[in-house]
Amino acid sequence: MASKAGVLEWFKFRGKGIGYFGYAFQRLSGVVIVFYLYLHYIVLSNLLRGPVTYNDIVGSITYGPYDIFVAFDVLLALVIFYHGANGIRLALNEMGIGLKHNKLFFYLFEVVSMALLVVFLYYAWRFIAVG
Amino acid sequence: MTRTEYEFNVKRKDDGGKVSYSRYMVPKDRISTVLEGLIYITENLDQTLSVRYSCRMEICGSCGMEINGKPRMACSTIASKLGTDKIRVEPLKHYDVVKDLVVDIDPFFEKYREGLPYIIRSDDGNYASELKQTPEEFKEYEKYSMCIKCGLCLDACPIVGTDPDYIGPAAMAGVLRYNLDSRDQGSRYRLEIINGEEGTSRCHFVGECSEACPKGVDPSFAIQLLRSQGLKHELAKIFRRE
Ligand code: SF4
Ligand code: FES
Repeated sequence: MASKAGVLEWFKFRGKGIGYFGYAFQRLSGVVIVFYLYLHYIVLSNLLRGPVTYNDIVGSITYGPYDIFVAFDVLLALVIFYHGANGIRLALNEMGIGLKHNKLFFYLFEVVSMALLVVFLYYAWRFIAVG
Repeated sequence: MTRTEYEFNVKRKDDGGKVSYSRYMVPKDRISTVLEGLIYITENLDQTLSVRYSCRMEICGSCGMEINGKPRMACSTIASKLGTDKIRVEPLKHYDVVKDLVVDIDPFFEKYREGLPYIIRSDDGNYASELKQTPEEFKEYEKYSMCIKCGLCLDACPIVGTDPDYIGPAAMAGVLRYNLDSRDQGSRYRLEIINGEEGTSRCHFVGECSEACPKGVDPSFAIQLLRSQGLKHELAKIFRRE
């Protein structure tokens, strides 16, 4: 086909089914995960600057003044749980499992993964609040 | 007060490539389908509007277009069932527009042909009688043989939008149709074509092609079945069973 639409079209959800949403967010969450991976590398690379610098940085994003990073952690958890659950569904599809009930599988996997996310966030919150 | 007219907003593209929308008021009591509305416009309001159609009964596959943002066949889309008096009509996405609502469908057929959509036999083809098939054998591929080559599925597929070389849902439904035909002996040739990057691997099982298909062909399901056929084919090659 000669006419190319571009990736922005992936995010035009109006009138589209749940499979479209699942597809677009699989991509978006993948990008967020890659972004976070590099962020992680950047933080880790401070080990080269010695233990004091590294501990300072980790301390500042864990206990302040930059503890707003916890918001990024919650976002990361959200996309990982979403991406992982949808990924498992797609892997099962590839093996021919769940093809006839694909939409049901999507809802099932996402409901379970979001329930697990809530459990994860509860324990993360306890860890932050109680220590 | 209920309105007595539909408001058609039709996306136009002139010979110079200029894109615009034209607004037409079409009396409700003169039309039933969106195609009838467009024909009314060309016959009574604007002879310069280009629209392609033939059978008017969802058989020829030539009147595919986007109606209120969804790929549909104009001849089988009942205007009163759209739930609004405003009808936005645009050419199919992912195709080059020739003029107004007419798109260049050639790339669709090139892709379709790539899948070798015909019976392939390994013998000489000289038979005393026709090749027989039981109703059960016909049922195996019946659904996939219903394709009218309308091209709606390529409009709906987001992968086609970003990778124009992707062979696409219709061609692969066609591949499965012949691979499942008891008279055919050419599966391995077709699987060689659609196994890989621009074939089954490119599909992410979004499922929009099946939502869009007016004939219930379910191409996205066909692609997943082809994946398992393709895997068996590759394994057979490794273990030299081919
Ligand atoms: S598979 Fe369905 S949507 Fe695609 S070309 Fe055939 S009839 Fe049209
Ligand atoms: S005019 Fe033939 S399918 Fe619509």
